Amino acid sequence: MPRNLPAWLGVGVVLTVCIGCRPAASGTRDVQVDLTVNPSPPLVGDAEVSLTLTDAGGMPLQGADVRLEGNMNHAGMKPSFAELREVEPGRYAGTLQFTMGGDWFILVMAETPDGKTVQRKIDVRGVRSP
Amino acid sequence: VNSTIQEPQRALDRPPPRQRRRASFDVLRVPGLGRFLRWRGSRTALQVPVLAISLLMIAHAFWGPQLAPKNLAALLTWVHFRGLVVLVLLLGGNLFCMACPFMLPRDLARRWFTPQWAWPRVLRNKWLAIGLFVLVLFAYELFDLWSSPWWTGVLIVTYFAAALIVDSLFHRASFCKYVCPVGQFNFLSSTLSPLEVAVREQGICGDCRTKDCIRGVQGAVNNTADLKAGRQLPIVQRGCELALFQPRKVGNLDCTFCLDCVYACPHDNVGILARLPAEQLAISGTRSGIGKVERRFDFTVLATIFTFGALLNAFAMTSPVYAVEQWLATMTGLRIEWPILIGLFTVGLVLEPAILLGTAALSTRVFVRSRESLLAIVNRFARSLIPLGFGVWLAHYGFHFFTGCLTVIPVAQNAALQTFGWPLLGAPLWQLGGLPESVVFPMEVGFLGLGLLGSWMVAWSIAGELAPRRAWRGFAPWALLHLLLFSTALWIMMQPMDMRGTFLGG
Repeated sequence: MPRNLPAWLGVGVVLTVCIGCRPAASGTRDVQVDLTVNPSPPLVGDAEVSLTLTDAGGMPLQGADVRLEGNMNHAGMKPSFAELREVEPGRYAGTLQFTMGGDWFILVMAETPDGKTVQRKIDVRGVRSP
Repeated sequence: VNSTIQEPQRALDRPPPRQRRRASFDVLRVPGLGRFLRWRGSRTALQVPVLAISLLMIAHAFWGPQLAPKNLAALLTWVHFRGLVVLVLLLGGNLFCMACPFMLPRDLARRWFTPQWAWPRVLRNKWLAIGLFVLVLFAYELFDLWSSPWWTGVLIVTYFAAALIVDSLFHRASFCKYVCPVGQFNFLSSTLSPLEVAVREQGICGDCRTKDCIRGVQGAVNNTADLKAGRQLPIVQRGCELALFQPRKVGNLDCTFCLDCVYACPHDNVGILARLPAEQLAISGTRSGIGKVERRFDFTVLATIFTFGALLNAFAMTSPVYAVEQWLATMTGLRIEWPILIGLFTVGLVLEPAILLGTAALSTRVFVRSRESLLAIVNRFARSLIPLGFGVWLAHYGFHFFTGCLTVIPVAQNAALQTFGWPLLGAPLWQLGGLPESVVFPMEVGFLGLGLLGSWMVAWSIAGELAPRRAWRGFAPWALLHLLLFSTALWIMMQPMDMRGTFLGG
C-alpha cells in the first residue's frame, strides 16, 4: 500500500464533502413577500413589522395565517416570535422583539386559505443597540 | 508506534526547577474515577462519544439547515465547545486534548501505516501553529464562520484531515505539538488549570533505569533470535509522544493529558495532581521537551497573540468595531473587507503589542538598571500575559455559553424532527435560552479580575527574579500594562454586543 495513501484519502474526503454536499437553495417563488421594519434601521427592542403578500399577478393574498421567527445570525440566541394580523387586504402587521444588536434574519411562514405554504428568509442587517 | 525519544542521563542529575508540589489530591486515586482513568482504554472511551458528536456535527453542517442558530455544527462549535473548553480548563485541566476526536482516526490509521519521517527540525517550534492560530482568527472574521454552518463543517473536516495526514507521515504527536492551533490554545490555558500530570515522588524516578514514561514500553523478548540480532522490539505502550520527560516536566505546557506516561510508568509513579494554578508561569529554567520558555521568542509571540487575539476577537463582536471599519473604508475608499481586516489585525496583533511590550520592557530596564536586551526582558515577562489573556477568553466564550447553553435542546429536537419527520426528542422548545446577560456580566468581570490578579502575581515573581532588591520597580511597568489591558477588556465587555456577519453590505 502506498505510503502517502492516507494523505490522498484525506484530501479526497475534504474535496468530496466540500464540493459535493453544499445544500441547494429552496423555496417557492410564486408569492411575493415584502417586509418592512419600523424603526428603520431597526433598534434593539420592539419593532413594528409590516408584511405584504402578493401573488404572481400582483394581487394581494388575503386571509393568510402569517407567523414570523426572528433569529440572530450567531448561534446560541433565543429566537423571537410574532404572529401577524391582517390590517388591510394582503398586508399583515405585528410586533417583533430584537433582543440584541447585530445581524438578524426573519423567517416568514405563511399559509394561505387555499393551503399554499410560503416560507422566506429575509435578512435584517445592522440592528442597532440604543 | 514509535516512541523512542531519549533524554540525556544528565537530565536526571539536575535538580528540577523550583515548584511546590501539592500531592495531597491525586485524581488517579479518587475511587471510581481514578480506576477509570488508569484503565488504558479510558482515552478511547472518552474519544469515541466526542467523535460521534463530531460526525453528527459534520452531517448537520452539510445536510442540515444553513441557518446557524438552527444548526448543530455552528451551535456546538461556536457556543458549547468553546465555552466548555475554557470552563473545563479553568476547573480541571486539558481534558479536551485528552478526549480529542482528531486523534482517533490517526490512531486507527497507524495500525496500518507507520510514519516514516521525523518532523522537520526547522519546524520544531511554535511558529507554524502561531501562523495557523492567526489564520483561524482572521478567517473567523472574514468568512463570518459563526454564522455559516457549511464553512464550520469545512473547518471540522479540514481539521480531521490535517491531523490524519500530518500524523500519518510524521513520527510521534507532531500535529499536537507543532501544528494544532486549538492545542496551543489549550496548552497556554492549561497553565491556569488546577490539575497537572506529574510525578508523585521524584526519588523513585531517580532510581528508574528504563525511562518508560518517555521511551515507551517494549514488548517482552520472546525468542533468542531477536535477542541475538539486537532487533528493536515493538512498542506495546507509548511513552510521551510530545517529548515531555516526566521527572523534568514542569507544568502543563505541551501536555495533552493522554496519560501514556501513566500507563508506561512501571512504578505507578505518575498521577494527576492538584497544584496552584499559574504557579508554573512563575518558574524559570529548563523544562523537558520545551527548554527555557523565558528565552524562546516563539513562546513570547504565542503568549502575545493569545492575549491580544483575545481582545481583538472580543472587540470584533461589538458596535465600535463597525464604526472603525466604516471609518477606515471611508478614509481609504476600500469597498472590500479583507484589506481593512488585515489592517486591524496588524494594529491589534503586531503594532500595539510591540509598542506596549517594548515600552514596558524599556521602563523595566531603566528602573532596575538591567543590562539585559529589551527582547530578553520581553521574553521574560511575556508569560505574565497569559492569565489575563485566559481571563478575556473566559469572559468572551463564557458569555456565549452561559447565555445560550440551553439552545442546544431545541436545536437537537428540531434536527431530530427534520431528520426523522416526527418529534423523536419532543417538540422544539424554542423558548429555552440560557442565563440573562445581567447575570452573566458579573461573571465576566470576575473572570477578568482573576486574570488580572494572576498576571500581577506572575509578573511580581518574574520581577523578583530579575531584580530581587528592585522588584517593585521591575513589576510596576508590567502591572500598568496588565491594568491597561484589563481596562480595555472591561470596556469591550461593557459594549453592546453587535454580532454581525456583514460589513459594507457584503
